[in-house]
Amino acid sequence: MTTQYPVLTEGPEPGLPRPDRASGAVAPSPGPAWDGPTYYGRAQLKPAPFENAVVGGYIFLAGLSGSSAILAAIAQATRGEEAGPLVRRARYTALLAPTLGSALLIYDLHTPSRFYTMLRVAKATSPMSIGTWILMGFSGCAILTAAAQFAGDRGVAPRAAGVVARLAGWPAAVLGAGLSTYTASLLAATSTPLWAAAPRALAVRFGASSMAAGAAALALAETDAPTRRRLETLTAAALAVELAGDAAAALAYRRTGVAPATRGRAGRVERFGAVGLGVVLPLGLYAARHWRDRAGRPEDGRALSVAAGLAVLAGSALLRVAVMGAGDDSAARPDVSFRFSQPDNLPPGL
Amino acid sequence: MTMHPRAADFPQSDLPGVIPHESELTAGVRIEPGRSYGFFTDTTVCIGCKACEVACKEWNNLPADNLGLTGHSYDNTGALSANTWRHVAFVETSGCGGVRDTVEAPFQSGWLMMSDVCKHCHNAPCLEACPTGALFKTEFDTVVVQQDICNGCGYCVPACPFGVVDVSPVDGKAHKCTLCYDRLKGGLEPACAKACPTDSIQFGELSVLQARAEERVAVLHERGVPGAYLYGTPGAPGATGDLGHLNAFFLLTARPEVYNLPAAPTRPANRVAPSLASGLAAVAGLAVAAAFLLGASDRRRS
Ligand code: SF4
Ligand code: SF4
Repeated sequence: MTTQYPVLTEGPEPGLPRPDRASGAVAPSPGPAWDGPTYYGRAQLKPAPFENAVVGGYIFLAGLSGSSAILAAIAQATRGEEAGPLVRRARYTALLAPTLGSALLIYDLHTPSRFYTMLRVAKATSPMSIGTWILMGFSGCAILTAAAQFAGDRGVAPRAAGVVARLAGWPAAVLGAGLSTYTASLLAATSTPLWAAAPRALAVRFGASSMAAGAAALALAETDAPTRRRLETLTAAALAVELAGDAAAALAYRRTGVAPATRGRAGRVERFGAVGLGVVLPLGLYAARHWRDRAGRPEDGRALSVAAGLAVLAGSALLRVAVMGAGDDSAARPDVSFRFSQPDNLPPGL
Repeated sequence: MTMHPRAADFPQSDLPGVIPHESELTAGVRIEPGRSYGFFTDTTVCIGCKACEVACKEWNNLPADNLGLTGHSYDNTGALSANTWRHVAFVETSGCGGVRDTVEAPFQSGWLMMSDVCKHCHNAPCLEACPTGALFKTEFDTVVVQQDICNGCGYCVPACPFGVVDVSPVDGKAHKCTLCYDRLKGGLEPACAKACPTDSIQFGELSVLQARAEERVAVLHERGVPGAYLYGTPGAPGATGDLGHLNAFFLLTARPEVYNLPAAPTRPANRVAPSLASGLAAVAGLAVAAAFLLGASDRRRS
């Protein structure tokens, strides 16, 4: 590539809609990221044919369930009997991924009747395959834990049920950690520029957002005020980690030249919905509640806590849907994809 | 290419069946399992006739995509898709703003044409992403979707760094060039390469094709086309980021982007471990925080 390249100016017309595409995606006109030649402004990549609300919804539920399983195991181990209601709620919340989540995943397949072909291989190069097996393992453990909890609550062999729930709860927690993060790796291990640009930051964002959502959901339902405080502090800590991930991702987007893809609608949802509503606002609300506590009016803070919890849950869901949408935008824009696939963005040593 | 001696054995125009090892007569190569085959697409001799597109559609029984005009020069195909496995790109290098010049310098062509196709990557990202194993490496070192296994998850679509493979809304399965897997099994050269009237698309054993391509680049440099280079051979643009090499590679005379090709694609599977590890680290850290917070609450309360 040491030679002079002729330079072609862009064609005047925007790309045609491609009705043959499963995603129905249409290439938007080129923007400023790559100012070299493109092929009539046509997309160079194909956006993922996922339904963003469906897959984004699954990613949210997977994170919520995964972190619930983690919190159930930790609460059970550190507080024992005393945390009974919290542990019960967490164990039941962990059922969201095996049930509703799996249904969403199968619904998003273009040939749903063949969902079982996912189970004929296990591949370390494919996060979707890794995730399939994480979800299978998690589902088994989470369902067993919840069933034992249910049996114990009904007085069916309460001692044995407690032991089973505890024993199955630990693998559920470990797999839950995978369940709340593998989805980021699934997006990062593609050629979609926005997802590929910040693999580490994206995983930190998804993982922290999962933990925040799990803790916030459990805090919303918690009746014991001191325990609620602890869960809210944990939510705030997770939000702080997520915020750091957001900042790192924004830097990576700028460095690799994919930032223009975040200036569309999906990018705005990500900024104002996921980060503004889902992270910054709840952090502020928790801080306000903390001051009320300090001022000796703890009961005033309940409304603030509830608002913060709901905002965290909404933001966590929006984060996933918005990241998927912004990724599609980046794949459809040749200026972004060509800028990203320049030699300066190659991993070191290649 | 001179005529293969065996060609004289089949003078009649009506053949009783397939000629054994027909590719020997048409492409000068015998197709045997266990070897690497591919395409060398020499864009400098492409005349934009789209015979490859037609041959591909006919052999593979593929329906039409868009009927209509794109306004993008003579390219009314637009892009590779589930139904289009060869796509001839047309680039007009004279004129500007997409408007063609009305004058042309004598003996100069204002055209760049390239027949695009699935690259049959060595470390194929689509294959590495496929969670069902529907995408696999054949005995000819090509990448094929098994239609009876694919469940239309669509993960191969964003995985491909070249925007090749696509899920069809008609049958809900992923489709792309198979490098005529069925024809190779029968000893036939792929349809597009056989139909190409200028040998712009050459089918053959990969090492032979790569050597032939190097020679062609040298010849072109000598003849005054200094911009000629290979895209997709080991170490060249297109074979970057751990992709290894592309079994379908190209000889280009302009920047890759001009032909809608990425200059430096990467291998997505390399991003699995870093992202998984950082995500798990973040969650583990927060789990430790949770243990401290929840465990501490007893003491704090009393
Ligand atoms: S070009 Fe795309 S579809 Fe073809 S083998 Fe490579 S990754 Fe797969
Ligand atoms: S759409 Fe089919 S070929 Fe593509 S990754 Fe999914 S199962 Fe594999």
